[in-house]
Order: sequence, then structure tokens, then C-alpha cells
Amino acid sequence: MPDPAYDLLKSVARISNASGPILVKVDQMLRSISTAFQSGRCLFLGPEKIVPNGFLSRLVLEKKPLWVEEGSSFQKENVLPEEEDLFCPAFACIPLYDGTSFLGILYLDFPKQHRFSPQQMDLLPLLAEVIEVTIHNDDLQQMIQSHEKRVKKLSTLWELNKALLTTVNFERILHLTLTAITIGEGLKFNRAMLFLVNEKDRILEGTMAVGPDNAEEAGKVWASLSRRNGALSDLITQLDPEDHSALNSVVKGIQIPLEQEECILSRTVLEGRPFNTQLPRSKEGWLQTRCERGCHLGSEVGCYVGEHLSRDPKIYSFATVPLMGKGKVIGAVLVDNLYNQNPITEEDIQFLSMFANQAGLAIENAALYRNLEEVHRELKETQTYLVHLEKMVALGEMSTTIAHEIKNPLTSVGGFARRLDRNLPQESQEKKYSQTIIKEVSRLEKILDGLLNYTQDGSLVSKELDLRDVLEESLSMAIEGIRLGGVQLIKEYAEEIPLIKGDSHQLKQSFFNLINNACQAMKEKGTLFLRVHSFSKNGSPCVRVEVEDTGKGIDPENLHNIFNPFYSTKESRLGLGLPIVHKIIASHRGQIEVDNRPGTGVKFIITLPAFEERKENRIISP
Amino acid sequence: MKKILVVDDEESIRFLYKEELEEEGYVVECAGDGEEAIEKLPVFKPDLISLDIKMPGMDGIEALKRIREKERQLPIILCSAYGEYKQDLSTWASDAYVVKCADLTAFKSTIRKLLGLS
Repeated sequence: MPDPAYDLLKSVARISNASGPILVKVDQMLRSISTAFQSGRCLFLGPEKIVPNGFLSRLVLEKKPLWVEEGSSFQKENVLPEEEDLFCPAFACIPLYDGTSFLGILYLDFPKQHRFSPQQMDLLPLLAEVIEVTIHNDDLQQMIQSHEKRVKKLSTLWELNKALLTTVNFERILHLTLTAITIGEGLKFNRAMLFLVNEKDRILEGTMAVGPDNAEEAGKVWASLSRRNGALSDLITQLDPEDHSALNSVVKGIQIPLEQEECILSRTVLEGRPFNTQLPRSKEGWLQTRCERGCHLGSEVGCYVGEHLSRDPKIYSFATVPLMGKGKVIGAVLVDNLYNQNPITEEDIQFLSMFANQAGLAIENAALYRNLEEVHRELKETQTYLVHLEKMVALGEMSTTIAHEIKNPLTSVGGFARRLDRNLPQESQEKKYSQTIIKEVSRLEKILDGLLNYTQDGSLVSKELDLRDVLEESLSMAIEGIRLGGVQLIKEYAEEIPLIKGDSHQLKQSFFNLINNACQAMKEKGTLFLRVHSFSKNGSPCVRVEVEDTGKGIDPENLHNIFNPFYSTKESRLGLGLPIVHKIIASHRGQIEVDNRPGTGVKFIITLPAFEERKENRIISP
Repeated sequence: MKKILVVDDEESIRFLYKEELEEEGYVVECAGDGEEAIEKLPVFKPDLISLDIKMPGMDGIEALKRIREKERQLPIILCSAYGEYKQDLSTWASDAYVVKCADLTAFKSTIRKLLGLS
């Protein structure tokens, strides 16, 4: 037995269960009902269609169906003029509710007189209920979808944050941030540019940018990225941070004064809120900004955009969001969809803002860490310097102690040698022995004094000196070493040398040390060059003494250490020779330079200022 | 015959000074530290004292102070291995400061000057 009421319910239920947009489904249901009832209109009146104080609004409050037919008590006076269209010879209104909230009214009318059968009066509320459930289900469906979307976003955000936590390196954090914004699995923007506030100069500095330089490159990058697998956090931390894109170098050159309020980037920072902007392009292809000149958005980023596009957009759309640090804005991020021209929605910006807040904190932390590292490095340098100073102090203490221990015995050795010497006959062999003891003891005494001069500021005995004489005396002190070692000596003294003023004993000691070192460096054989020349430095006369050997030279690794008091390559020595020379020359307002040629020899160049008497140089010929 | 008291903790130095100064014609007595020097002072009654600074027990500076309290006019020469005490105010109470050296010429001429012999 065919039952039309059952068939109708079945077909409406089928529509309800089918997938598709809710408006289409409701429309199909209304049409089925209208056909089955052979009625005029069958409508669904949403809350927006309900006129206040009309008969429908009363119906909403009463929550009861209304049946109007011939002989019913419903009068036309109850109908407001706006509702007159709905007043027909026969019609039914059934209000629908989702729980307590009003959904709408199912309306069915007949153009001619009609009587509702009890069957129809049972069926129509049932159909209304199906519509009600359909709408309710659809609401739920949409809620689930939006929740799913949100969960997906949050998990993306979580993945990106995880990536940010992998490092404290400043550059790396910046690059990760921009990659997260541009990668397809992340925030999907085509390009991202990062600007940081320079508090000291009150400017916004372009710091880094990520994005392809043209559409072709964009296609390649995206294709290669889509072939990668793995978690998002792993994916973006694997990307090469080296970015040589033209965009990156353009952005790195951008500096915007924060006070330039016309610039959207400055405003993003000053107002601490995002901007979603569309700029029209001028005829010349430039982007029109409100800023007359100097706005880098229009003149550089934008212009750059225009020149390198494969297609020609009429409009440049971009968005900016502030980067939030702890309680303050530390910069801004600019994003656009230049290549695929996807619109930037409010939702995109909301998501970007959420990420920017996290990234801002990470960037701020990385910057703090970078500062910390810098301070740490400075501290380390200071520590090294202090250790060096400590060495010097230790040297001072040690040499004072040694000097004291040696000086007294030396005094008696030398004193008794003199006593012996006085009683020995001239020309006797013994006289030569005692003379040697006296000479050597006084040399030792001078060396001890030199040692003490290094740690105590021995006052200079200043006399006018000819450096050639001084050099000759040093040479006579060292002549033994030269003769025994078979070293050839070449002297090149200029004929006219200006006098210098200084302590002959100290200078003698210095040259002796240099000559001695040279002889030791050459071991058995070699050539020792001694040169004395005069020259003019910045208009003032100077004397230059060179001591050059043909030894092995100084190991470049040790070169910086040769004036360090404890450093020595000759194990038996204290390592005091060169530091003392350095100190003596410095106290004579002179300079000492090293011309080191590893393998072929060393040249020490000592420069001393000439003594000027009433601006007139006394020249002494040899 | 002028009498000189040599105070030094180093025996070799005492020996050297005694020999050298006796050769110059002085009567020389020696002491190994400050306390011994002060003990010998009233007995020996020197015309000049040569005083080493760095000595164990009572050092030269302390001895100088004690001796000066008793003998205001007695010439005292401070001897040291180096000149580092030259800046020390407490050494200014001495009449001369001599840095030790194997060559005793400067030491001897200082003594002659203080004793009014040159």
C-alpha cells in the first residue's frame, strides 16, 4: 500500500542526510513538501524575516503552530502591512527551535480555500522537526570543522614553536621564524621580511627576508619543499639558513625612522597592531603610498616587487604584524602573497599574530643570549689580560728575590777580587785572571740592575749619545759569542748620525740582548748585520738601528709572545731579554719592530728620536 | 784613629768591609744584626756606622731608629743591595744611602766625607 505521507518523510529524511550546503538542502526539502501538499508556497522564514510585533513574532513567543483556513478565528487585523504578503486564504506556520533558541518558521500556503486534514496537521510538524534536526546537525558539523581547523592551526603553531626552541642562535632564530611564515606546511605566505627596532637610534632596521626572487624560482622552491617528508619542526630546522636572495639584501639595507608615522611598518610597531593593506599601483608601476618620499615600502620593497614580477598585479596586498617581546614591541614582520596572489584574510593575520608573539619572545631571548655571549667574551679577554698582569707581578717578585740573593755574594766576590788585584804585579798572569773576575762580576751586577729596572722604574741617566758608540760597546760585550760561533759580522753605519739622549748603560744592555739572541739563533754560522742610519719621521729626525741575523727566524705562532716576560724558546733562559729591550726602548720614547722571515732570519728595527738642541742637530762625524 | 761599626748579616760582606776599611786606616768592629749593633754601641763607641737594611731579626731601618734616639750626631750610612729603599721616608734619618757594589770607591768616599776627612 503506497503511503504518500511515508514517502514524503522518507525523501525529506534522505535529503537531510545527504551532504551539501545547508541552504540547498533546506530548499530541496521545501520543494518536496510543497509538491506533496500540492500547496502554493512553502518557505522557511529565518529569524531575520520575523517583523517585530507582527503575528509571526507572537507565534515565536507562543511556540505553537498556527493553522489558518476557512472559518478559523485568525483575522487579517492581526497582520502588519509588512506581513500582508503571507496572509492567504489558507496557510500554516510552524515555529522551529533548537532547544530553546528560535531557528525559523516553516510556512506553507494555499492560494485557494483549503482545509487541513488531521493527517496533514500531524505530518507538517513532523516535517518541520526534520528540517530542525537538519539545521541543528549542520551547525554541529560547522562547529566540528572550525574546531578541526583550530586544532590543526594550534598543532602547526606548536610544531613551529618546537623548531624555535632548537636554538638560541640569533640569526638562526630569525631565519626559522621567516621560514615558518613562508613554508607551505606553516603559514603559507609567499614572502616574509623581518624588521627589528633599534632603540638607540629610534629606527626600524630591515634584518632578514625569506622568499623567492621571482615566480619561476618560487615554483621550484615550492616543488622541492613538497617532496620533503617529516614533521614540520624537523623540516624547517633542516633548511639551509644561507639566503643570498636579492630580497634579503634589499631588506637588509632598509632603515625606517620610527617617527615616520606614514609608514605602515612604523605604525605597526608604534601602535602594536597588525595591518592588512592593499596599495594601488600607479601608472609608472610604482606603488602609491601615503608617504611622499622615503617610504621604503613603496620605493624599495614595492618597487622591487613591480620589477621582478612575471605577471602584473594591479594591486599589491601585504600585511604587517608586530613582533612582541616581553611587554614591548621589538619589531615587525611584513608578509605578502606576491606569486600566487592568494588573498590575505583576517584569519591569516590572526594566525600570524599568534606566531609572531611566540617568535618575538624567541628573538628577544636570542638577542639577550647574544649580548651575554659578547659580555662573556669581553670578560674572558679581561681575564687573559689579568693573568698576564699577574705574571708580570710574579716576575717582579721573583726577580727581586733572586736579585737580592745574588747581589750580596756577588759584592763580596767582586770586592775580594779587587783586593787581590791591587796586590798583584802588573803584566802577571794572575793579574789577567783577577781582571777577568772583576770585569765579569761588574757585568753580572749590571744584568741584575737591568732585571730590577724591568720591575722597578729605574730612573734614566740621560746623556747625549752616539748610538754607534753604544752599539760598539754592546758588541764588545758579546764579541766572545760571535768569535766562538764563527759568525760573520757586517757593519753598515751611516757617516752622519744625530745624537740621541738616553741611558747608555740601558741601551747597551738592549743591543747586547739583541746581538746575543741573534748569535744564539744562528748557532754555528751565519751573518750578523748591524746598521745605524738616520731618517726623518713626520719631520723630526730619528736614528734607526737594525740588528739582523740569518737564523731560523721566529715561529709565527710565537711572534706575538716574544715581548712576554716569561716566554722563551731558549730553555735555559728566563725569557727576560726581549721584554727588557722593549721596556728600555719604550722608556726612551722609541719603537721596536720585528721583521720576521721564518727560515731566513729576523730583523729587529729600533727607532729612537734624535736629540734636538735648539732645533739644531749636532752632527758628529765618525 | 776613627772607629767604624759595620752591621751586616752576610759574613763575607763583613769580612770584605773590615779588610777594606782597616786598610784605609780605620778601626773596624762588626755586628751581625741590629740588636748586636746596639749592644756594641756603648762599648765600642764608633765614629760612624755602616748599616745593612735587610737583616733577619732587627733590620737596618729599626736599628737606625733606635740608634738615632741615643746618638743624634753619629753619622750613619745605610747600605742596601738595591736602591728601592731610597723612596722610604724612614731611611731619611740616615746621613747617606749607598747601594752595594763590588767597587767600594763610592762607599769609601762617602765615609771620608761624613767623617770630615776629605
